[in-house]
Amino acid sequence: MISIFSRKNLPKIRQDILRGVYEENLIILGRGRPPLSRHKPFLLKKSLLFVAVCLVAFLMDGQYRGSSFSPPELTANMGTTPYLLPMASVSSEGKEVNTSEFNAFETRRNVPLSHMLGLKIRTIMIDPGHGGTDPGTLGKTGTMEKDIALDIAKRLKAHLVQSGWTHALLTREDDSFVPLQKRVALAGEAKADLFISIHLNYLPRKPINIIETYYFGPSDDKETLRLAEQENAGSEYGLSDFREIMEKLVKTMKLQESKEFAKSIQANLFLNSRKHKGNVQNYGVKRAPFVVLLGVDVPAVLAEVSCLSNEEEEQELNTETHRENIATYLAAGIFDYLNKGAFAHEAKR
Amino acid sequence: MKQKDEQKQDDVLFVGIDLGTSKSAISSSNGKQGWIESYVGWPKDFIAEQVVGKPVLFGAEALQHRLSLDLCRPLERGIIKEGIENSERAVNEIIRNLVDLAKPEPNQKIHAAVGVPADSLKVNKLAIRKAVAEYARALMVVSEPFAVAYGMNLLNNALIIDIGAGTTDYCIMHGTIPSEEDQKTILMAGDYIDEQLFNYLIEKYPNSKFNKNMVRQFKEKFSFVQGIDEEIRVELPVNGKPVMHDIKDEVRRACESIMPALVETIVEMIARFDPEFQIKIKNNIVLAGAGSLIRGIAEYLQGALKEYGTFKVSCVEDPLFAGAGGALKLAQDMPSKYWETL
Repeated sequence: MISIFSRKNLPKIRQDILRGVYEENLIILGRGRPPLSRHKPFLLKKSLLFVAVCLVAFLMDGQYRGSSFSPPELTANMGTTPYLLPMASVSSEGKEVNTSEFNAFETRRNVPLSHMLGLKIRTIMIDPGHGGTDPGTLGKTGTMEKDIALDIAKRLKAHLVQSGWTHALLTREDDSFVPLQKRVALAGEAKADLFISIHLNYLPRKPINIIETYYFGPSDDKETLRLAEQENAGSEYGLSDFREIMEKLVKTMKLQESKEFAKSIQANLFLNSRKHKGNVQNYGVKRAPFVVLLGVDVPAVLAEVSCLSNEEEEQELNTETHRENIATYLAAGIFDYLNKGAFAHEAKR
Repeated sequence: MKQKDEQKQDDVLFVGIDLGTSKSAISSSNGKQGWIESYVGWPKDFIAEQVVGKPVLFGAEALQHRLSLDLCRPLERGIIKEGIENSERAVNEIIRNLVDLAKPEPNQKIHAAVGVPADSLKVNKLAIRKAVAEYARALMVVSEPFAVAYGMNLLNNALIIDIGAGTTDYCIMHGTIPSEEDQKTILMAGDYIDEQLFNYLIEKYPNSKFNKNMVRQFKEKFSFVQGIDEEIRVELPVNGKPVMHDIKDEVRRACESIMPALVETIVEMIARFDPEFQIKIKNNIVLAGAGSLIRGIAEYLQGALKEYGTFKVSCVEDPLFAGAGGALKLAQDMPSKYWETL
C-alpha cells in the first residue's frame, strides 16, 4: 500500500495523533484533558498560582454558592469535543423547589440520582409534539410544528437505533392526534427510562430564533406559562389526577435527573446550532408545568428545538439537512446525559 | 525510540486487539498472534456441562454445541449490549481467551490497545475498558478503522472502510486523530449479507434444510460481486436426502445488496471535504475487515463510483489481523508517559 502521505511530516503528525488518542481515552475515563508536562514559562506559572490563590480566597470568603468549582464540561460529539456549558440564564431557571429532599440532592449534584439508586437507561421514549387535528404552531409560509417535530423525532430515533439503542420508541409514528395523557401512558407502558418531547417555539412579537429546554416544575414567568398553556391544550387531566401525580413526582424526585437531562439537551442543541447559525439565541434550561412532563415519572424534558416565527428559520426547517442536524444534536444531548453516568453500565436496575 | 527501550526494560507486553462481531484477533509484541470467533457459550445446566465437558466454550466449538449452551455473541452490531449481563461476561471471556493466545509471561505487565467500532458510545467504550481492565495494566480504546489506518501509515488523505460482520466503519484520515465527523458506522455489513442470502435461499429452495450458520459459512467461502467463472454448488438435505444446489446467483445478489449503501456513504463522507482534498481521498480508499475478502469488491466499488470521478480502491493484505496489528503498532508507539495514566 502506497501512502500519499508526505514522509517528512510523519513523526510530527504521528505524535499529534498519539497525543489525541491519549486525550480521547482520558475523556472516556472522565478525566478531561490535562496538559502533559509541557514546560510553562516561569511568569505564566506565577500568574496561574496567583489566580489560583485569589480563587481559593474568593471561595473561602463564602461568596461562592455553587456546588462545583468549575462549570461542568459537556461533549457535543459523544465524547470527542469538549464544550463549556452555555451560560444558563439564572432568572429563567425560576425558584428552586423547596423540598428538603430535593435540596439534599442538590447539594450532591455531582452524583446523579440514577447512580445513587443504581438505575440504568433501557428505553427512550421520543414524543413528537402535537399531530393530527392539532397542528401546533404555524410558520408564515404554512410550515406546521407537528410535521417538523415528527420528522425530527423519527431522525432522532434512527440515530439512537443506529447507536445500538434498539429500545427507542415514538409516541406517534404518523400524523395522528395523540392526547397528552395517552403519550404519558405510552411512556409508562413501554417502561420508558427517559422521555423527550420535541416542539417548536413561536414568538409573535420577537423576530428571533431561540432554543430552550424545559423540565417539569412551577414557574412564575408569564411567557413560560403562556407556552405551557399552549402545549397543554390536549390534556384531559383532572385536579385530583394532578395532585396524585405531583405527590408521586416529589416521591420519586425525578427533578434532579430531568434538570441534568435538560442541561445536556440544551447545551448540545444550542452550541451546535450556533456553530451553524450565529443568530440563534440561548434561552437556557427552564422549569414549566407542562402536563406531558408531569405524568412521566422518569427524567423528562420538553425541547423547543427551533422557532417557527423566525422566517429564515422556517425556511431552513424545510430542508432535510437542518432537521437532520437538529436530530443529531438531540442525540448528542442524550448520549451526553447518558455518558455522565459513566459507571451506569455497571449498575443493575 | 527511547521510550520503547524504557518500556522493554520494564518487560511490558504490548498487545493490539480487534474486537469484532464475528471474529476477534490479537497481535502482541512477542510475535504471537491469534484469533477466535466471537461466540461464547455456557452450558445450560449440569447435564449440558457434563456433555460439553467445559464451563465455557468459544467460537466454532461453542457453535457446534449450541443446543446445549446459552450462546452469546456479545458484540452484535459491533457494540457490547450494555446492561446485558451475559454480554459483558462474554466479552470478558473473549478478552481472557485472546490474552491467553498472546502467551504473556507470568506477572508480565500488559499494555493493550483495543479497536472498537467507530460509532461506539462512550458507555460502550467504558464497558470494553472494564472487560479488558482485568487482564491489562493499562489500555487504550481506539476506533477499528483508525487502528487499521495507523498500522498502514495511512495517516493523511485516506478513507478506510472496515467491513465487519455487524457494522461497516468508515474513517477519514487527514493528519489528525479523526473526529466524529470523520467517522461513520452503518449496519450494512456481513450479518446483513447473511440475512439476505438466507432469505434468497429459502425463496429458491423452500424444501431444502439449512440454517443461518450454514449460510454464513457459504458466504465466507464463496462471496463475490460482479461475475466469476466458477460454479457455486453446495450440498443441502431435501427430505433427508443430500442434494446439490446451485447458489451462485443468490450469493452474488446477497453480497451486492450492501453495495449501494457502501457507495452512498463513501460519496457522502468525501463530499464533506474541500474539492482538493476530495481528489486525494478518492485515490486512497482502503477496504479492511472480512468484507474486503469479497471477491471483486474493490473493482465493483470503483465501477459504481465512476459517475463521481476516478476512485482508487484497494484491499488490505491481511484483513483478519490488520486491525489488531495497527492497534499493536499504536500501543508500541505510544510514549510511556501516556501509558502511566491509563
